[in-house]
Amino acid sequence: MSTQPTPLSHTEIEEFLGAYALDAVDRETADIIEAHLDGCVRCAAEVSQHHEVAGLLANSGGVPPAELWEGIAGRLGGTSEESWDRLAARLDVPADRPSDGAVPGERVPQPHRAVASGGDVVPIGTARRRSRLVAAGAGLVAAAAAVIALVLGLQVHHLNGQVNALQATQNLSTAERAAIAAPNTTRVVMSAPGATGQGSTPATIVLTAAGTGFVINDAGDGLAPLPSDRTYQLWGVVGSKVISLGLLGSRPGIVPFSVAGSHGVSAFAITDEVAGGVVASANQPVAEGKVQV
Amino acid sequence: MVDLDVEQASDANLVVAVGRWYEPALAEVYRRHGGAVHALARRILRSDPPAEEVTQEVFLDLWRHPEKFDAQRGTLRSFLLARTHGKSVDVVRSEESRRRREERMTRETATAAYDIDREVWDMAVAEQVKDALGALPDELRQPIELAYFGGRTYREVAVLLDEPEGTVKSRIRSGLGRLRVHLAERGVEPAGAGL
Repeated sequence: MSTQPTPLSHTEIEEFLGAYALDAVDRETADIIEAHLDGCVRCAAEVSQHHEVAGLLANSGGVPPAELWEGIAGRLGGTSEESWDRLAARLDVPADRPSDGAVPGERVPQPHRAVASGGDVVPIGTARRRSRLVAAGAGLVAAAAAVIALVLGLQVHHLNGQVNALQATQNLSTAERAAIAAPNTTRVVMSAPGATGQGSTPATIVLTAAGTGFVINDAGDGLAPLPSDRTYQLWGVVGSKVISLGLLGSRPGIVPFSVAGSHGVSAFAITDEVAGGVVASANQPVAEGKVQV
Repeated sequence: MVDLDVEQASDANLVVAVGRWYEPALAEVYRRHGGAVHALARRILRSDPPAEEVTQEVFLDLWRHPEKFDAQRGTLRSFLLARTHGKSVDVVRSEESRRRREERMTRETATAAYDIDREVWDMAVAEQVKDALGALPDELRQPIELAYFGGRTYREVAVLLDEPEGTVKSRIRSGLGRLRVHLAERGVEPAGAGL
């Protein structure tokens, strides 16, 4: 990321930006420039502009060769298992640059990494955020008891490959459907605190044996949209600790998260927090669910 | 998502659909931009088999890592073409290619290399782009052409043009900036984040 020291000053790097945009610098220089671009919006914007101009210079394509598409399509993979492998691989790839961000306004999976063991808090954003959260982790232990108390026992279904109504949701990709249907996948139906019996299902969490999960809020009447200065935040209870599993945004659809390590999450909770999330929540969960093993 | 009308969808929405493994979306991206990607790869590589491989890799990369495209940073086409250029240049600079190129460079003059690039250049570039490029002084245009279509580093360009490396580096940058202004004057407004 951007923490790597650069032997070139901002002004020196600026002089390289045109050549860099045309791939006309050596790899070592490109690495230095890319480290700088991670933290310099102005230079990153200039490179984008150079790419646009260069793209216009090359903008002469006619009809693409059909046989080439056949070759591409043949390498995409076909079965749902392969799709799931790709998804899992993708979720395991850390975002290496800010430019790897999501398309605005749309959900794009971003890995939320949980602590493997021994930590108190799950990083929910950047490395910068991670250090702050870990430093503040001690407060979570005290909060853990409160959240655990709030988490109610709820039904858990081992699907055993069965396809349920969620799969009919058209917004689910093939890979996500495959994940839900996979053996050993655990589904946790979240409920609003105080809700009884049928009806209220704010969200569903699907947790795979590999530790990748999805918060699914596709029903539309589940987690209601929040103002832009608010976000839903996902929490997991691991042992006696409550860890943040990530921010779900103000309008969550299907949000992936990851729970690494061998310690299982025994319960989930979702809270409504200020945008950016909190280290420890003082708010009542809007949804909660217990994982039964 | 399966109801997405790919022909009507924006590029950004297509990429989102690609992120959900919706193959028709990738097919539509290929239909829109595959020609430009393939043409650029062929220009740089001057050979079909590696150009086809680069083209396939560019779209497979989008399939595997659609999140690398940031619509706020520019258009999908420029993103794909930048990837195409990078991959093509990697091929050009592979060891075998490097050896062949170095042998050739010892024989070529800068002018001859420029003419070769100019030849393919003229075939298909839009009028406005040609005009804008033509409005550039030679000393700004040549480094851009040699680097972009020739796949050369700025250091190689400096040798070819017999100019200091720092001068070439600066001219590529200022040339791209001038080109942008000239294009804007001709009604071609490149996308991308504003400075």
